[in-house]
Amino acid sequence: MRAIPTLKISISGVRGVIGDSLTPALLTRFAQAFGTHTGAGTIVIGRDPRTSGEMVKHAVIAGILSSGSRVVDVGMCPVPTVQLQVRKRHAHGGIAITASHNPAEWNALKFIGPSGLFLDAGQARELLDIYHQGEYTKVSGGEIRVVEEVDGATDQHINAILDVLGPLPKTGRPIRVVLDSCNGAASIAGPKLLEALGASVIAINVTPDGSFPRAAEPVAENLGDLCAAVKEHDADIGFAQDMDADRLAIVNERGEPIGEDYTLALAALYVLQRERGPLVANLSTTSALDDIAKQFDCPIFRTKIGEVNVTDGMKLHNAVIGGEGNGGVIYPRINFARDSLVGMALTLHLLAESGKSVSELLETFPRYSIVKEKMECSSQRIPGVLRMLRQEYARFPIDTRDGVKVMLPDGWFLVRGSNTEPIIRVVAEAGSEDRAREIVSDVYKQVTTWITS
Amino acid sequence: MKPLKIGITGVRGIVGQTFTPELVVQFAQAFGSYLDGGRILICRDTRPSGPMIRSAVIAGLLASGCEVIDLGVSPTPSMQLAVKWLNADGGIAITAGHNPAAWNALKFVRSDGVYLNPTQAEELLDIYHQGEFLKANWQTIKQTVQYKDAIPHHIEVLNKAFGLEHAKLNKLVVAIDCCNGACSLMTTKWLEGVGCEVLAVNDDPTGVFPHEPEPKAETMAQLSAVVKAGRADIGFAQDADGERLGIVTEKGERLSEETTLALASLIRLKDTTGTIVTNISTTGAIDIIAERFGGTVVRTPVGQAYISEAMIEHGAMLGGEGSGGVTVPEVQLSHDSAAAIGLMLSHLSRTGKRVSELVQELPRLAVLKHNIAVEPNHLYSILQDFRTTVERENLQYDTIDGLKVKMPNGWVHVRASNTESIIRIIVESENAAEAPHLLDWVRDRLTT
Repeated sequence: MRAIPTLKISISGVRGVIGDSLTPALLTRFAQAFGTHTGAGTIVIGRDPRTSGEMVKHAVIAGILSSGSRVVDVGMCPVPTVQLQVRKRHAHGGIAITASHNPAEWNALKFIGPSGLFLDAGQARELLDIYHQGEYTKVSGGEIRVVEEVDGATDQHINAILDVLGPLPKTGRPIRVVLDSCNGAASIAGPKLLEALGASVIAINVTPDGSFPRAAEPVAENLGDLCAAVKEHDADIGFAQDMDADRLAIVNERGEPIGEDYTLALAALYVLQRERGPLVANLSTTSALDDIAKQFDCPIFRTKIGEVNVTDGMKLHNAVIGGEGNGGVIYPRINFARDSLVGMALTLHLLAESGKSVSELLETFPRYSIVKEKMECSSQRIPGVLRMLRQEYARFPIDTRDGVKVMLPDGWFLVRGSNTEPIIRVVAEAGSEDRAREIVSDVYKQVTTWITS
Repeated sequence: MKPLKIGITGVRGIVGQTFTPELVVQFAQAFGSYLDGGRILICRDTRPSGPMIRSAVIAGLLASGCEVIDLGVSPTPSMQLAVKWLNADGGIAITAGHNPAAWNALKFVRSDGVYLNPTQAEELLDIYHQGEFLKANWQTIKQTVQYKDAIPHHIEVLNKAFGLEHAKLNKLVVAIDCCNGACSLMTTKWLEGVGCEVLAVNDDPTGVFPHEPEPKAETMAQLSAVVKAGRADIGFAQDADGERLGIVTEKGERLSEETTLALASLIRLKDTTGTIVTNISTTGAIDIIAERFGGTVVRTPVGQAYISEAMIEHGAMLGGEGSGGVTVPEVQLSHDSAAAIGLMLSHLSRTGKRVSELVQELPRLAVLKHNIAVEPNHLYSILQDFRTTVERENLQYDTIDGLKVKMPNGWVHVRASNTESIIRIIVESENAAEAPHLLDWVRDRLTT
């Protein structure tokens, strides 16, 4: 069998395993390539608390300095903080050192453009071309610039949130929040923001020492401790962040995860109440967003999957709010990035201003169930599978921008090939979990039959 | 061809050309692997490329599982002492010493504070070339610690070695020129602490070199002016990382860098007899002085590592090179300009003598040095051709390092530099008028 490589160099950056594929020489070359791409200027760097973070940081600094740029090191902080700093400082780019939800042995570089957004596909391809070509800008010893170490980037982030949203309105008893930061990049910033908003905070997993107290992805099966803590402390809400603090999951006042799709739904509910405007989400995010948009008479636009596609769509449609069903909330008035800190502030404002509980708020719009499955399929058979599904479901409205999304009368499903593994992913949503499972199983059967025929 | 030198003194090149962060990362990984992921000290001089190289070194060392202790900007000798003090497994000095500002280099130090010897340097190079390095995983990877006490500890060791703990040097007026290098952070503080009046120039550690950081007569004009204007008892010029020392007398006379070791030898031998270790290229004045006081001289190839090893082997009381590097074993077994300063000042203070009087006691030999820049791919063939010529003329020669040829009234020494792509020629004669002829004799026979 072919060995599975641990190094992944793609338009989303470079990712690998420490002590294996992610070597300092590779990282330095990538930083040189990025410095060559941006041209001499200022590059902001920040990292999550992984144990390899310092090694990776120094490899990156060496590469950037060598290509003639100045480095602003904002230290350990959330990825959205790095993105915000790039914009606020009018920097020429940024590098976030984080493997987001990957396990502890991984690390990665994510490249940020001057707008604070991740490089789009075209920019990322240019960077990869420079990297592979291997001819980097090298400045002489006298032209090497300095590293500026900045404290307080997270404070500026918190202030940016308070400037737009303000503290929570005074309620009888302060909202009680349990926060699980996964010992991640927001371990300091998370509790600080919640206190600054005026909530009463119980924080768990806020020791950013590079250990992972749970799997980093903020999905229901990883939130056991948080659910228990919400019940134990009789809290109003529980928040779970991932390692790089871009995604947010919510637990209701009964200690039940509400499903990461509904993070964006609650944020959108609050934002659209205050300001009307377009909503943008990717193709696989819950239909509840369509209902919320309709409720406020706002248009909704769907994009291909991938953060860059969502932010591109938001710019194109001048969206007031957008994001992804994985818990990524993007509120451009504060930060044009998936930002769990912004997501928490929006949700708490919604709670405080409405006086309702999380469960009550969720009842104000239709609830759906989402079921996600994957199945093995060699990459060369994927186009055939997609063509077969388009023919089989031709009687329904179909969106083919990213795989095949079929709008059934009582739900929808999306089938797409993975970019990274020989699998296809199936997502289905319907009014009940049973129906969603039924849709997935129908699709599964058809695909299996087609593959084996 | 662009210059990059990988050899016994470490790896050295021009930033922006050959000395890339990737090369530095991989050398640091090789060194970390060589020391099996131990505790490593790092320091740097003030060159603007220092922070870039530092980060590349840290990344490579951490990736190979080392614990990194970063001394920041610090003289190399302070780091070498701290390696022992902190029980480290080794050190990397980020400095191109006396080379111009465009250069930078890594110099590798082992657990006893001495540079890797030639065999060890070969082993390190083998690991580097093989390219298979130790790799720490996420559970074993370590972090960097900042350490600020290397210079204070160095000062403490110096004061103890020369009995200066109780401000013994009062009344001496000392002019210094640190070339805005790493010693800017140390020399004034140290000498004022032991009672000297210090007139310092170029002691701003910005790394903008006001002149070439090589302490020799040509670069000490400003220092000489300060000595005269301030009526100083002596003037000292240090290189960028504090290994080499140049001296100006109280009259403002700029002494040749060869004189530094000769003066140190004279001072030492006046007190006690013993062995002095120096390289084959250094002035014959050392032999004449040693003979006068009943001491012995051991000659080695050019390079500090050879001096240190021979000093250990022969239990020497002093070591050094004609470049201005002096090793005083009571301080440490490596070149240390501060140790040379301590030796001079304690002698002046104790005897009340003037530097110019000591210089009067030195043999008068005429030394001429000349460098010829050559393409790196011709360096050794030129030397080979020279050797053939010398053999044809039936002259007596020595091949400890390059070719040293005995001539009537003196000698000539021709060798490849360890650090740059140049051929170094040194000639010495008892007769000042003869020296230029010796130099011409060599130049006529080098086919560059």
